[in-house]
Amino acid sequence: MIQNNELNNSFNYSVLVIDDEKRIREVTSKMLTQEGFEVAVAEDGNTGMKMIKEKHYDIILLDLMIPGISGLDVLPYIKENHPDSIVIVITGYATLEHSIKTMKSGAFDFIPKPFSPQDLRIVISKAIQFIQTLQDIANEKSRMGVLVNQLSGGVMATDFNKTIVLANPAFLKMIDYFGKDVTGCNVSEVIKHKEMKSMIDRALSMPPEVLSDLTEEINISENIVSVRCIPFRDRLKRNIGTITVIYDITTLKKMDQLKSDFVSMVAHEIRSPLNSIGMQLQVILDGLAGPATEKQQEILTRASEKIRSLSNLSTELLELASIESGLITQEKEKFDINHLLNEQVAFFQEAALAKNISLELDEPSKLPPIFANKSNIDEVLSNLISNSINYTPEGGDIKIFAVATKSYFHISVSDNGFGISNEDIERIFDRFYRVKNEKTRYITGTGLGLPIVKSIVEAHNGKIKVESELSKGSTFYVYLPYIET
Amino acid sequence: MSEKQHILVVDDDPDLVESISMKLESKKFKVTKAYDGIEAWEKIKEDRPELIILDVMMPRKDGYETCKEIKNDDQYKDIIVVLLTAVGDAVSSTNYTHMDGKTTPADDFIPKPIDLDKLMEIVEDHL
Repeated sequence: MIQNNELNNSFNYSVLVIDDEKRIREVTSKMLTQEGFEVAVAEDGNTGMKMIKEKHYDIILLDLMIPGISGLDVLPYIKENHPDSIVIVITGYATLEHSIKTMKSGAFDFIPKPFSPQDLRIVISKAIQFIQTLQDIANEKSRMGVLVNQLSGGVMATDFNKTIVLANPAFLKMIDYFGKDVTGCNVSEVIKHKEMKSMIDRALSMPPEVLSDLTEEINISENIVSVRCIPFRDRLKRNIGTITVIYDITTLKKMDQLKSDFVSMVAHEIRSPLNSIGMQLQVILDGLAGPATEKQQEILTRASEKIRSLSNLSTELLELASIESGLITQEKEKFDINHLLNEQVAFFQEAALAKNISLELDEPSKLPPIFANKSNIDEVLSNLISNSINYTPEGGDIKIFAVATKSYFHISVSDNGFGISNEDIERIFDRFYRVKNEKTRYITGTGLGLPIVKSIVEAHNGKIKVESELSKGSTFYVYLPYIET
Repeated sequence: MSEKQHILVVDDDPDLVESISMKLESKKFKVTKAYDGIEAWEKIKEDRPELIILDVMMPRKDGYETCKEIKNDDQYKDIIVVLLTAVGDAVSSTNYTHMDGKTTPADDFIPKPIDLDKLMEIVEDHL
């Protein structure tokens, strides 16, 4: 804030005083010079106009009653030649009528005669504040312009009527637009992709209590772009326009596909011969190729186990690749999660019983149907439950709990098993990471179970969390967003 | 059972065909072998089997095509077809859909990796 008696004049503003009264010229000019302004004076309208023509003044103090051309006639001349000069009218008879007239012709303010230095300070400081605001806006605009134009991502802003306010070169390039300046055009004249147009419509009609960005991937000729659209709002939370940001993700998509294809090719090529070997071992073990000695059988049984776990590994690699390629999110259906939970718990009862572990489902109140990929959610539950059984010693307890809130399904699997150390807990979701200590040494696994669980949960826009204490047990929490269908 | 029941095993991996055959023979089935869809048809016409164990992914003519042809052929549609499917494929009680969306009708399915004992159960259920 600028104090009334302390003018902020760091920019060295220039002031022109047009007044026929010598005393006023002298006093004002002396005072303003002391304050650091660059001051010029004129004693009549003609001189003043001549000076204005030659030089730009930030502030002009203009007396209305001056010899020759009147102040009222000088005013339009100033506005025409220097629209951004601030004009403060000095008037001997501060009538309302005069004030309104001068303000209408473009004066910024007026100051009645006689005035004190303090009165002058107030008016001048108001003028400076105004100039600085204008300057700030201009700077901001220029900074924004440079910033937006330099972005590698495409940015477009529209107003409420879908008129384009701003679109950077990257945006126009990505939507394949080459033509006249788009500022001021309607979105439909520039954007041909109906998905993108519909996103803008949806953003503009977003109710005030919701503020989320709409995200979609759309194809533009040969390319895939990720589009995000979000409304922006005034202080009353009314939508007053939209911002659309787009990124070219073609390369990313291609790399991703390549990786998935590669993994799935390798997994297939490894799995088939493994299966075949597994069956050959089985045939020998069954005695179909002649009797095998007890020792031979023992060795072949162990070999079969290894073959099976290798085969599981390749299966899980394939699954991970298919989850990461985003295939699964396209196959969602609505189903009863209570049923799924009961089914899973029943299925694992036998394995739990074998270790004398109590496996209980905390019978939840009827949960609403979930909208998700069923076999994936099945996989999440079976992975978490079988982990719990594996990592809980004989006689332990496993509890599964499920509840639905307004926006999330919460499912938790708790055991009082071995627990996970602090060093391990950070890495259990890493691929191929397996906790190895004297208690877990003989537990077989691929190290892909939890990464798969995490990928599935995240592909459903959910979250997974784990709490654990060594020798006390672990709890895995899964949060899946509730989607109304 | 006076005469041995006849099963045709079709897969492009000869080792796999051999293992399944040995197991089937131990259960006193008569077994013939083929290594792709075209050969399968030759064997079917030569000596009609009661049941076919048919792999899906094979060179020359794959399992989908072969299965579809059998099921659309009035003379052979009564032959029971058990498909060997891969992980990630969706299976309903009557139809089989591969990951790429191809679908075909069949009488039963068993996913790879094959559990020989389970395969025997399926075969015995149908015969």
